Amino acid sequence: MGNAVDDERPDHSEVTVGEYKSLQLVVLPTDSEHRGYFEEARQHRLVVQRCAACGMLRGAIGAACPFCTSLDWSWQPVSGRGVIYSYQIVTQAVHPAFADWVPYPVVLVELDEQRDVVWNRGLEDESVSLRVIANLVTSDPTVPEAEENVAIGKRVEVCFVDLDDTTALPQFRLSD
Amino acid sequence: MGAEAVRNAIADAGLAPEDVDGMLSYHANDSTNAMALSQDLGVRLDFFMDCSGGGSSTEALVGLAIGAIEAGMCHTVAIFRSMNGYSEARMGGSQAAGRAAPSVVAGGALDSMPYGYMTPAQMFQFTFARHMHEYGTTNEQLARVKVAHSNHASNNPKAYYKSRLTVDDVLNSRWIVKPACHLLDCCVETDNATCIIVTSADRARHLRQRPIYIMSVAGRVMKPFAAMHYQCSPITRQAGYYAQRIVFRNAGVEPDDIQLTGCYDAFTFTPVLLFEAYGFCPVGEGGQYVSSGTIDLGGRRPNNTSGGHLCEGYTHGMNMVIENVRQLRHQADDSCPGWAHGEHSYDYREGGCRQVQDVELAMNMGWGTPSMTSALIIRR
Repeated sequence: MGNAVDDERPDHSEVTVGEYKSLQLVVLPTDSEHRGYFEEARQHRLVVQRCAACGMLRGAIGAACPFCTSLDWSWQPVSGRGVIYSYQIVTQAVHPAFADWVPYPVVLVELDEQRDVVWNRGLEDESVSLRVIANLVTSDPTVPEAEENVAIGKRVEVCFVDLDDTTALPQFRLSD
Repeated sequence: MGAEAVRNAIADAGLAPEDVDGMLSYHANDSTNAMALSQDLGVRLDFFMDCSGGGSSTEALVGLAIGAIEAGMCHTVAIFRSMNGYSEARMGGSQAAGRAAPSVVAGGALDSMPYGYMTPAQMFQFTFARHMHEYGTTNEQLARVKVAHSNHASNNPKAYYKSRLTVDDVLNSRWIVKPACHLLDCCVETDNATCIIVTSADRARHLRQRPIYIMSVAGRVMKPFAAMHYQCSPITRQAGYYAQRIVFRNAGVEPDDIQLTGCYDAFTFTPVLLFEAYGFCPVGEGGQYVSSGTIDLGGRRPNNTSGGHLCEGYTHGMNMVIENVRQLRHQADDSCPGWAHGEHSYDYREGGCRQVQDVELAMNMGWGTPSMTSALIIRR
């Protein structure tokens, strides 16, 4: 591009790239959390962050513990088992990468660990659970589950799509 | 387009360009900015901010304008939004015609985009599906929102879509995301620019139009865990649950006092959740509320009389506030020949009047996501 600013840009030589359905999954050098997450997934382990101070697990990757604000944490493997808490069937290909998949399900999975922790002393009748977003897939994790098999309350378990030698993408499939 | 909107608003208020000494806008890297607009209009500003923000920013910026004026930073603020929401930057990053889809996924998008999950209809759908599951909210009830707003739009010569629709029209339109969003449950991606002028009551009293007074503002108010709010139950609760405490307390009124509402109708479902959260109906009964006739012109408390995002056009929240100002001035620009002088027929049949009779008190409810809201109560 011949732009002088190019020389000022961060060094991307350590970028990890996994290719998935024509999308380039890029983990920047500054994104150590996602690097660890996908590397654990390549070992076919679903992990969440566990606070080193209070021991609470967190459902979304973040810098600090929402329960105690500690910055120290480690990866904690979880069972990968849970339940469909909510769902959607995508019938319009929102991205060309998914044109061959429609209609496909996206599910909000509530993991079995650390369910319904009372938040804010229950003052607002709120509770916190570990919920993650993924596709519901078949026994072949590259194939979306049929629409009629998707429902709130169904049991699911994690499975993995290996992207390369160092990364994999977690998905979920129906279980008993 | 932005310059035209601000220029029109200045003229409508009876101001000279140099009377505007403040500007506020919000954008998603898709807008012109205050520096460019002020230069276009030959205005030197004592205060301006271009905030990064999505839906529900409109009402919040009205509050910030009050703060800037009361702090003595400026006297009159033009709040604007300018967006090529159809031809250029479409919500959720899906590509406009002729533009390549993004293929690089990094950062927080790694948790969602590899799953084909990126547009607003998808980002809100877990809330919608769970609400249908828990409370039995139906697609027919949702369609009634579109029917009401399309009826209103048919009396708005400026609306993008002016045809009156039926419940079956909505249910027979193609699916975008199940279970809650047919094509006609989704709002209209639009290229548009809009502007709202805020100034002190003392100054406003000497301008061309009857001033509309700001009673209270809340915004932007969030739920816990707002960035990934699906961690926190109940996920069917909209952030208005918190904002209603602020906006009604500071206005000194109750939901029952409100005669006209403007809800951020990005989808037919969003008003359902806003009405519940702000206390216009019990939790779980939003579906009944929107299908009972209450929100129709001529009903107990009409909603989005311009047609809103679903029919007038998607303006990222601005047009519902503008419409409520028009309504409170009794100057809804319908087909009544004397609308500019407040002369209306109150005949709400197609192509007729859309002015709410004797309306004095109106409310706006903004939506960013299920976990984000703003609100505004204004009076004649």
